[in-house]
Amino acid sequence: MSEIDDLVKKITQQLGEQSTSAASSKTGATSVPDNMGRNDYPLYGKHRNLVKTPTGKNLDDINLNSIKNDQIKGDEMRITPEALKMQGEIAASAGRPAIQKNFQRAAELTKVPDARLLQMYNALRPYRSSKQDLLDIADELRNKYNAPICAAWFEEAAKYYESRKKLKGDN
Amino acid sequence: MKRQKRFEALKKRPIHKDTFVDEWPDEGFVAMMGPNDPKPSIKVENGVITEMDGKKREDFDLIDLYIAKYAINIDNVEKVMATDSTKIARMLVDPNVSRDEVLKYTSALTPAKAEEVISKLDFGEMIMGVKKMRPRYKPANQCHVTNTVDNPVEIAADAAEAALRGFPEQETTTAVARYAPFNAISILVGSQTGRPGVLTQCSVEEATELQLGMRGFTAYAETISVYGTDRVFTDGDDTPWSKGFLASCYASRGLKMRFTSGAGSEVLMGYPEGKSMLYLEARCILLTKGSGVQGLQNGAVSCISMPGAVPNGLREVLGENLLCMMCDIECASGCDQTFSASDMRRTERFMGQFIGGTDYICSGYAAEDNYDNTFAGSNTDVNDYDDMYVMERDLGQNYGIHPVSEEDVIKIRNKAAKALQAVFDALGLPKITDEEVEAATYANTHDDMPKRDMVADMKAAQNMMDRGITAIDLIKALADNGYPEVAQATLDLQKQKVCGDYLQTSSIFDSKWNVNSAVNNPNTYQGPGTGYRLYEDKDEWKKIKALPWALDPEHLKL
Amino acid sequence: MADIDENLVRQIVQEVLAQTKNVDTPIDFGKNSSTATATKQQANSKAVPEKKVDWFQPVGEAKPGYSKDEVVIAVGPAFATVLDKTMTGVPHREVLRQVIAGIEEEGLKARVVKVYRTSDVGFMAVQGDHLSGSGIAVGIQSKGTAIIHQKDEDPLSNLELFPQAPVLTPETFRAIGKNAAMYAKGETPEPVPAVNDALARAHYQAIAAIMHIRETHQVVVGKPEEEIKVTF
Repeated sequence: MSEIDDLVKKITQQLGEQSTSAASSKTGATSVPDNMGRNDYPLYGKHRNLVKTPTGKNLDDINLNSIKNDQIKGDEMRITPEALKMQGEIAASAGRPAIQKNFQRAAELTKVPDARLLQMYNALRPYRSSKQDLLDIADELRNKYNAPICAAWFEEAAKYYESRKKLKGDN
Repeated sequence: MKRQKRFEALKKRPIHKDTFVDEWPDEGFVAMMGPNDPKPSIKVENGVITEMDGKKREDFDLIDLYIAKYAINIDNVEKVMATDSTKIARMLVDPNVSRDEVLKYTSALTPAKAEEVISKLDFGEMIMGVKKMRPRYKPANQCHVTNTVDNPVEIAADAAEAALRGFPEQETTTAVARYAPFNAISILVGSQTGRPGVLTQCSVEEATELQLGMRGFTAYAETISVYGTDRVFTDGDDTPWSKGFLASCYASRGLKMRFTSGAGSEVLMGYPEGKSMLYLEARCILLTKGSGVQGLQNGAVSCISMPGAVPNGLREVLGENLLCMMCDIECASGCDQTFSASDMRRTERFMGQFIGGTDYICSGYAAEDNYDNTFAGSNTDVNDYDDMYVMERDLGQNYGIHPVSEEDVIKIRNKAAKALQAVFDALGLPKITDEEVEAATYANTHDDMPKRDMVADMKAAQNMMDRGITAIDLIKALADNGYPEVAQATLDLQKQKVCGDYLQTSSIFDSKWNVNSAVNNPNTYQGPGTGYRLYEDKDEWKKIKALPWALDPEHLKL
Repeated sequence: MADIDENLVRQIVQEVLAQTKNVDTPIDFGKNSSTATATKQQANSKAVPEKKVDWFQPVGEAKPGYSKDEVVIAVGPAFATVLDKTMTGVPHREVLRQVIAGIEEEGLKARVVKVYRTSDVGFMAVQGDHLSGSGIAVGIQSKGTAIIHQKDEDPLSNLELFPQAPVLTPETFRAIGKNAAMYAKGETPEPVPAVNDALARAHYQAIAAIMHIRETHQVVVGKPEEEIKVTF
């Protein structure tokens, strides 16, 4: 995903950043700008129509009535990979590329269920996992959740946990 | 020896209840520039850092590896490392140099170089640096809302009052971990009653805290601790990779988060590796930066009595706050935990952060009597409110809170207690009686509250989690039982999690849910005539000026 | 608020300063700690020999218990044999006597083990609850910090935590033992009341650090827990 982002960024820049400036002040615009910039922020005020819940609902369609009528589920109010991508672009445009990288990992993790995500986090804690355990999670992230950046994260951890003695049984 | 009477009198002063120790560098009892701290160095080969601060890559521990890969702008690092540290330090106080220009240098510092730059500044120069480097335009404050019996009704009432007094972020924790879900929903309902737009958190063990966030009971997390040595990191039950992953987990659920670190934790946990507090904290700050985490709570935090015990200790503490901001990270600057028996020294504790103005001057201020502060007490508590208002008024300097009327506080405490009563009722939780609502309205401490059946509460809290209750159920309970505006505020908060605007650096909300962060409202300070000033902030200054007990000289009856 | 025992504080500081001067093994800063801990059973070069104490005798490596009615008390590596009282001066013997009495009051048995591989109270308790037949352990550091922990909980989570050692009295230690036993029986006791001394940090934090450093010096990486026979 990051390679794609980089490519998009490059192309956008080549086009003279026209999309960013064009999208910046239009609250009602329906097309997604190729690359968000700091002037597109906040999304809630400037691009609310582009922000959806995981099931595709518009924020303005969620109100106390829809909650009273049980139309909104407990896990409806979640951020989507698309919103995280936009926020990442905004962060990078404001000079904070590391935050964008964090949001790229986060975007991948939106698909992992809560309980599994907690297990994955716990597996990365010291002395919890064998090298193979970590590599298995990397495979799962890559193949089941299409999360290559996070998969690489686990592979990197597996490598360093081995050389720096943080694997199961090293304590 | 026959005692000299003046010495005898001095010995009885509160300052003598504080503990001071001599420097002991081998065990980390040294604030900054310790004799064992590494000297700055860098070697880059084929885009990879192969040597950092005198250490070869093969000798890097996990923290070094992480910082070298994720936290340092490799394109600039050789140039910056070759720049005289005094020159970089001067840029921090020079009104001719912009914040953005400083960031070009500070985004490519190694930990030892960062320490060296900070060490060139005296306390006053650090304050100037804070003025320029704070990410958000306007400073703010954060508070603790707790009581030692985890009484939920009192938490709701205290949260509402604290919101009214101006805290945009509030933090609770538990005396007993199993109470956490109740504390989380109590502070949420209370704060949204007090003022829509407040962000709340519940500080508990890492995995539990994330779970509360996933349910929508909390808006952000802060107690995600990082440490400056590998061994202490491990004792904290994490690694840089697990903490970095946890950061992404929070973002993946649309939850704001910041890390926590601070001087003295490595000494207190027994493995400082002979390094100074500032050097180890520089590693924590860079680790935070590398994780892509927007913020950090630092400034010794709960270990404040460690730097406080050694020479240059409080200078180091402000220095580490400044370094956090120099890395373009939101800074919740400590000034939280009890630190001194001396009122003069308590004031000294927050002066740099207050006059410099940080994103959150305290993290946090005790919004209850310290007797009820489950974080083991804060440097300033409810009993200091009026002193703080006067200091703001005296100096024209924002502390992020303002005076309120007794009538308004009674009203809002009552409403918060009643709203929580409705929620407990609707969700089938142990009853909150009218007597408890009345007591919470007028209470100062938990001694003023009727005793609750804590065992029943804990079981119900666990059961509430088992039943899969989420913030949506809470909103429904509020909406169905006569609290539509509190329900709306709680819903608006959930919408912000979908949108993610408040994941950006230094974000807080106003009462209309307009986000205010370093992206849309960055610090513009660059010397006199620029940046935020309380006395030019019309609405806030009006509230501060109108001290309720100030005399009206024009109409004073004599 | 508890008054500080000035004599005790002075004594500890003097002891520490005396010890500082005796430290003759320089720290090897070139080596990073994680590689240094790779070998089995590595003791810290700054560890001091353990004293023989007649009431607190090691009787061999601790084995997992299978009896559902036991609670393990896991103490730190300096407990009783290097340091002998908590930071407020409660003798370690009295601490154990009270916790054991609390457990026995509930009709359960107490087993004491000494943990060497960590000085962290949470991880100490984790070692303990894995040895405990009931899965419940009380962890106690030499400075007095205590925790009640249950197997299957995350190391840094807890049933009850008593982080403020300065406010822990013999009565509190008894109540901790009693509650631990009640958890072992599957009951849900009222938590031991948290006492708050807002100024304890200013008085005690540096002292706590010094005591913890001393305890940490005694850590032996990889060394299994020792079963302790306690006789009062």
